[in-house]
Amino acid sequence: MTILPYIGRRLLFIAPQLLGIVLVSFFLVKSIPGDPAVLMLGPTATPEAIASLRSKLGLDHSLPVQFWIYLKDLAHGDLGTSWQTTRPVLEDLVQRFPATLELVTLGLLVAVLIGVPLGLASAFREKGIIARIADFYGLGAGALPDFWLALVLIFVFYTLLQWAPAPLGRIDLAVIPPPPVTGMLTIDSLLAADWDAFRSAAAHLVLPVLTLGLVNAGPILKMTQSTMEKMLQSDFSRYEVLCGIPHRLVVRHALRNALPSVVTIISVLYGFLIGGAVLVEIVFSWGGAGQYAVQGVLNSDLYPVLGFVLFSAIFSLFVYLMVDLIYLAIDPRIGH
Amino acid sequence: MSKVLSFLRIVGRIARVRPRFVVGYVIVLVAILAGLLAPAIAPYSPIEADPTQFLEPPSWKHLFGTDAVGMDIFSRTIYAPRIDLTIAVVGTLLSAVAGSFIGALVGYYSTGRGVRVWASYAVMRAADVLQAFPVFVFAIALVASLGQSIQTVVLAIAFVNAPIYLRLMRAQVMSIREMRYVEASLVAGLSDLRTIMRHIVPNAMGPVLAQLSINVGWAILLTAGLSFIGAGVRAPTPEWGSMIAMGFQNVVTGQWWPSVFPGLALAITVFGFSLVGLSIEVVADPVKRRALVRDLARVSLCAAPGAASLSAKSTP
Repeated sequence: MTILPYIGRRLLFIAPQLLGIVLVSFFLVKSIPGDPAVLMLGPTATPEAIASLRSKLGLDHSLPVQFWIYLKDLAHGDLGTSWQTTRPVLEDLVQRFPATLELVTLGLLVAVLIGVPLGLASAFREKGIIARIADFYGLGAGALPDFWLALVLIFVFYTLLQWAPAPLGRIDLAVIPPPPVTGMLTIDSLLAADWDAFRSAAAHLVLPVLTLGLVNAGPILKMTQSTMEKMLQSDFSRYEVLCGIPHRLVVRHALRNALPSVVTIISVLYGFLIGGAVLVEIVFSWGGAGQYAVQGVLNSDLYPVLGFVLFSAIFSLFVYLMVDLIYLAIDPRIGH
Repeated sequence: MSKVLSFLRIVGRIARVRPRFVVGYVIVLVAILAGLLAPAIAPYSPIEADPTQFLEPPSWKHLFGTDAVGMDIFSRTIYAPRIDLTIAVVGTLLSAVAGSFIGALVGYYSTGRGVRVWASYAVMRAADVLQAFPVFVFAIALVASLGQSIQTVVLAIAFVNAPIYLRLMRAQVMSIREMRYVEASLVAGLSDLRTIMRHIVPNAMGPVLAQLSINVGWAILLTAGLSFIGAGVRAPTPEWGSMIAMGFQNVVTGQWWPSVFPGLALAITVFGFSLVGLSIEVVADPVKRRALVRDLARVSLCAAPGAASLSAKSTP
């Protein structure tokens, strides 16, 4: 088995990349004008109070020294403290990251359920009505701003039809959230066998998940369609057709060969969406990790931004690693 | 005059075999014209509010209605391409020029030995790091740190998109640099830089051009997204994203028009740019181009008198 050394090699490359990401984001966020000490104490603070707070926060050191201190804290698992929530960033993120993850994972699932079947259907009959719908959808989905689609869905399903709950967070205010285990409300409420909480959490998920699913099905559809067309026109498919192998089997073999590209586009979207779902989070007051980071940037709160960038970078690198392992499983050519 | 006519005839033929291309160009043209002619078309000022006419639903007086402070949404929607298209086009062009120039150098010096190879390796790793960032958070942080203005939004768009062109160009140049004519140009005594600029880059431009138009669409979406959270173009300036944001609260209470119309305009414009990108892709891709030329020939054959019998004979 060569998988373990392979994973080890990959992890070795991840470390310098993470260091680079932390370095760039540290200096980028540090260069945002606005002094956290002044912002924390408000406009009435005395210069002495500001100076003492600055030294307490370590802001009186030079930038490289501050970076070194941050790295040392990071090695101990300390991601700093957010001055907005006055809580350790790690705690905040552990609470908020699962919210984003739940939203994005379900959204991507919906996107796959829309994109792959439509892509397959349009690859078979290139001139049919389904192919036309799929073509149009593939082009149109990428053009829709997700935050706008979210608003339209809210207008139709909340304001007009009253089917969906108000776009204010992840669960009804009147419902007691289940004790946190995974941080994902649907799973936690199932674990606690709390059906009211589950119903409320699931109802709040419907619109944001639908938004993300509808918008992100576009790239998956296009990739499925173009790869399947290529595979069905390739020599091995033509040979199978010539040999009289049933259509169903020809398609299945083509799909097997198209799978790696489809998996690739899904993984790229997954990594992108962790930070890319920010606007949808804001529209639905989701309180996820992306929203936390954006608030951090807008209020020169350094550590939440760094923490989020670090979390999402590690997450994308993890997803890419998993995908490469999936390749090993689904594509025998790569194993050798 | 006859030249114009024959051009129109070709456009008409393309419209018959690939109607969506023409749709794309028409949308883009309409968006540009709306921006240019806005002062003449717009019935009201795009930045002046009439406090007595707030949240009026669409009517003949206010085609798209008015927003919460009483500004005419139709006027603002047709003024918006001025700012949105300018930011998107300038940002995309900047990223394409800078990204493809660096990408060409990196691709050219990617093999061999010496300092340049190390430099090109370092550039690629830097691009890896930049692309590992969550795009949106990165763009907001850039705008925030440079100070919020239209120029910094343009810069942020250029910065976020540059790695795409860098990679595209690098891949192209790496295959082209093995060509004989590159060798010939070097043997003839041209410097590396001249060889790259005169003989490699022009042959590597196809995918970059196709990417360009699609990217303008993304850039419009990014600009609108930045403005939506208040990190892009500021409020009274007519811009689709900030208009959608302004109507956010009204949508929840039932006044849909302040957000829906600018969003529709935005989506249709981005759709148009991706159709234009698709058409360029077809022209740049030899296989797809051949299919288009074949379809065009068939249409012109059918259009000619007696073509039906001719094509019937030629197909056994």
